[in-house]
Amino acid sequence: MAKQKAFYFDASACTGCKACQVACQDKNDLPPEILWRRVFQYGGGSWLKQGETLVPNNLFTYSLSTACQHCESPVCRDVCPTAAITKRADGIVLIDAEKCIGCRYCQWACPYGAPQFDEETKVMTKCNFCYDLLDQGLNPACVDACVMRCLDFGDLDELRQKYGDLAAIEPLPTDKITLPALVITPHKHAQLSGHGTGQIQNLPEEV
Amino acid sequence: MIEKNFLTKTLTDTILSRRSFLKWSAALGGTAALAGGLNFGLKTVEAAAQTAGTEGTWVPVACWHNCGGRCLNVALVKDGVVIRQKTDDTHPDSPDYPQQRGCARGRSQRRQVFGADRIKYPMKRKNWVPGGGQKQLRGIDEWVRISWDEALDIVASEIKRTLDEHGNKAILTGRFTPSQFLNALGGAVMSWGVTSDGAWPLPVFVMGGGLPASFFLPANDRMDMRNSKLLVLWGANPAWSSGGNPAYNLLQNKKAGGTKVIIVDPFYSPTSQVLADEWIPCRPGTDTALLLAIAYYMLENNLHDQAFLDTYTVGFDRDHMPEGADPKENFKDYVLGTYDSIPKTPEWASKICGTSPDVIRNFAQEWATTKPAMLISGAAPARTSRGQQYCQAFLTVGWMTGNIGIPGGGVFERYHNVSSYGGPSLVQPGGSGVNFLPNPLFPTAGAFGGYAFSGAFDTDYYGMAYEEIWDAILNGEFTASVRGKVPCDIRMMYSIFEDSGSNDLNQIADINKGIEAHRKLEFVVSGDIVLSSRSKYADIVLPLTTPWEKAAGGLLTGNPEMLLCYSQVTPPLYEAKDALWVERELCTRLDLDPDEIYPLSLEQQTFNQLAGATVMKSDGSGYEPLLTITADDISAMGIEGKSQKGRISLQEFKEKGVYQVPRSPGDKFTFVAGKAFREDPIANPLPTASGKLEIHCQTLSAIINAFGFMELPPIAKYLPPAEGIEGTFEDFKTGVKGEYPLQLVTIHYLRRSHSVFNNVPQLRRAFPQEFMMNPIDAEARGLKHGDYVLIRSRHGKVVRPVALMDRVTPGVVFLGEGAWVEKDEALNIDFAGATNTLNGSYPTGQGEEPWNTCNVQVEKWTGKIPDLDYKWPQRIPIEEA
Repeated sequence: MAKQKAFYFDASACTGCKACQVACQDKNDLPPEILWRRVFQYGGGSWLKQGETLVPNNLFTYSLSTACQHCESPVCRDVCPTAAITKRADGIVLIDAEKCIGCRYCQWACPYGAPQFDEETKVMTKCNFCYDLLDQGLNPACVDACVMRCLDFGDLDELRQKYGDLAAIEPLPTDKITLPALVITPHKHAQLSGHGTGQIQNLPEEV
Repeated sequence: MIEKNFLTKTLTDTILSRRSFLKWSAALGGTAALAGGLNFGLKTVEAAAQTAGTEGTWVPVACWHNCGGRCLNVALVKDGVVIRQKTDDTHPDSPDYPQQRGCARGRSQRRQVFGADRIKYPMKRKNWVPGGGQKQLRGIDEWVRISWDEALDIVASEIKRTLDEHGNKAILTGRFTPSQFLNALGGAVMSWGVTSDGAWPLPVFVMGGGLPASFFLPANDRMDMRNSKLLVLWGANPAWSSGGNPAYNLLQNKKAGGTKVIIVDPFYSPTSQVLADEWIPCRPGTDTALLLAIAYYMLENNLHDQAFLDTYTVGFDRDHMPEGADPKENFKDYVLGTYDSIPKTPEWASKICGTSPDVIRNFAQEWATTKPAMLISGAAPARTSRGQQYCQAFLTVGWMTGNIGIPGGGVFERYHNVSSYGGPSLVQPGGSGVNFLPNPLFPTAGAFGGYAFSGAFDTDYYGMAYEEIWDAILNGEFTASVRGKVPCDIRMMYSIFEDSGSNDLNQIADINKGIEAHRKLEFVVSGDIVLSSRSKYADIVLPLTTPWEKAAGGLLTGNPEMLLCYSQVTPPLYEAKDALWVERELCTRLDLDPDEIYPLSLEQQTFNQLAGATVMKSDGSGYEPLLTITADDISAMGIEGKSQKGRISLQEFKEKGVYQVPRSPGDKFTFVAGKAFREDPIANPLPTASGKLEIHCQTLSAIINAFGFMELPPIAKYLPPAEGIEGTFEDFKTGVKGEYPLQLVTIHYLRRSHSVFNNVPQLRRAFPQEFMMNPIDAEARGLKHGDYVLIRSRHGKVVRPVALMDRVTPGVVFLGEGAWVEKDEALNIDFAGATNTLNGSYPTGQGEEPWNTCNVQVEKWTGKIPDLDYKWPQRIPIEEA
């Protein structure tokens, strides 16, 4: 059985520069409306009066880059009415544009926002792990683009052995629903999914 | 997926038949064949047809911007079309020898080059006639397509008419040295001053005996930084301001060296989030007060290095003053309040800078006692009114620690593409061979024009500070340092520059005044790749090429450890021409011999740079030629030159697109700035007046005072800047806030390199030009995250969506500099959020621009909500194909 392909993300090194997001848009000829990879800025804290000044109190912020998790239990595939979404032996989850009728059900179901509707072609699209590059022994575009070197990929089991099995921090949802093929090294201030005290600091239209 | 805002051919026809390729090239208005046989990887028509069905060829292309980086950018060319890009993969990546990876801007480069908004044809403003026509329509008029002949005839005749009727002093070339042909005709008005470095150049030079970071590297190098136990980054955010590796280098250095990192900034920035062990908030324009309090703490606790100060500096205390100085004007007594009765305690400073006294004390303890320490300032705190006081304070309080000329130690300004780098260049291009004709109106200006001009005592220059340009046009006079006000009568603005950018109307303070000034002139000509602000408000716009269209290819520098080599990947789009061709054509129309004025072709210039490129020898003892160039290479290029031997072949250099010197810890290129001076200050004096580090610097005072914009004491003192924290109060003492109660920082923003890239839709989506505000300030105004807000200053108004975040200091707000002004004339509001709509012109110090001292007020916008930035239509002035 082929191993499950997975992304690795080091949140402790990410500055949210979006080279990954834009490199992906370049590689896949995506218009600005479609983000196969999205970068969030999550943070919070407050400022308290101390004497005559305000001082930061539990201030925290970090960036998170996410695409499609090529989940072990992909809910997008489960809800698709035309079986347009399949999962390969190596774990990569793909949308077949020929079969997709653009009902957007997968977009509703995916907790990660991975499926993106294409207004021109009227079908769903999403990160395909740059499977064409992988087939040539090359890396996904986002991995090679990352300026802080915090994106990598590989076999899920090997990544877990190397980096642990954390797969969910805010603002991602819990990993218990779809079992994302994802390994994260947390930022020192990372908050566990569902236990966040911060907010997404991006403007809504940005992500 | 069809993307409407991109030249459609380049996306949908990834496999072109020979027939359609020829059709496309014809539509581009030229032949697809290359000039001069200089083959930098671009195929001819025949060869392109043969590759149909293959994967294409990777060709290194220029990423040429003033972004604080410059990285390797590579394009996949298939049948003459760039179908995608990649970045550096020429060697395995490691912290010691990192790939030169590009940022989001560089990764969008092909969308800039092939954008549907490229200027295709020469254009004339519909209502322009010689003399100006309806000048009030500049910026809002219609555009008419004209031929190159007509355009060049108009430009030449306007130059002739202006020279005849008003003289050379009536032609202004903005922030740059005039073109050669204008110098040959007697010169033109150019301006001077400092932009990126702020107040730094003179203090570094005359206090510290070094040179500003944008020119040279008076700093320890990247490997030596790993020896630091403490790194302080003061007002530096390389993650946004220095594209490419700097933030990565700093993180790797921190890990390798176990270095503690403290960052001082009003913004808990993306750099801070990955790098900072501690973050010290400090209000813009008040860093001087914070530094003085650190000095006070050190004096109070006897933590300063007295022996170092005695031996290596002058002016610290009354016993070590430079010759002729008033002993009372020593730094120590000022800090202690001996004469002004104001001890510069942390409590005193806290009222000004907003940092809590406890935090100041803890910080001061670290600053003084953790050694060796690298104390690095960015340029942002010096881009403030009275910025020199900050530079004086930073250098002085840094020198108090004695961290000079030792491994892992230093006190530097370091930013832009030398963030995280230092030492001499390890590999560099040769000169182009061009001999610059001096500008008769400004004989002392060098190749950098008026940048960091320090000739305050000169009486033979004619030109104003950058920030005085609009006032000079409108009021007919400018400040000429010791001569006082000098009259002027500007009639024409000439902005034809190689390589995009130079968007003066957008990037100089007070855009509203700039628009008014533009509407007073008789003639405005701009050469551009897209309708940026300076072209939007012009009369004639000429389509120029980008370096991707340059047959000669070329070289680019970035950081000192590598050299880039780029090639052409497309013939000039539509009717675009390069600036050299334009100026040669103007020569012909102005009775000048173009070969005399511009004797060197672009191909010859590129060859000269290649042939003269040198790389440091592996033992660090000097330089040797980089490239082996054969007789075959030379005859293929069609230029004059001799063959030579070097480290790598020209072919290899062109194919890879980069030569980078491998580094390792402790290698022969590790550099400690000031080492010789530290070892023996008598035998190796600094090039300062005293030969030592000048804490009391009469030279600095004299020059700044002579410029005439302000009076500067010879030691660091805190004096309130214009539109600083004090400017937010009706009355600083009683604490009653005034009409503009917030402080604006005009931060570098990743959508753009200054104003370049502002038009790329993918970047507009990624970086929405949000106005950043603390929830406390937002709540007080009833604002919610995502609301549109009206931001007002004493000088203009903008509307933007607001993003709430606790990581900005309360009372301080942030907006990215460089958005292209999009002015609603009726409302007098700029909806793009160009920060220079909010900044007023306050020429200061050495002619720098105090962008980071600006007061604003914010309220909810109740008018029509604009479209999201990435949905704005592209500026396509002429629709026809």
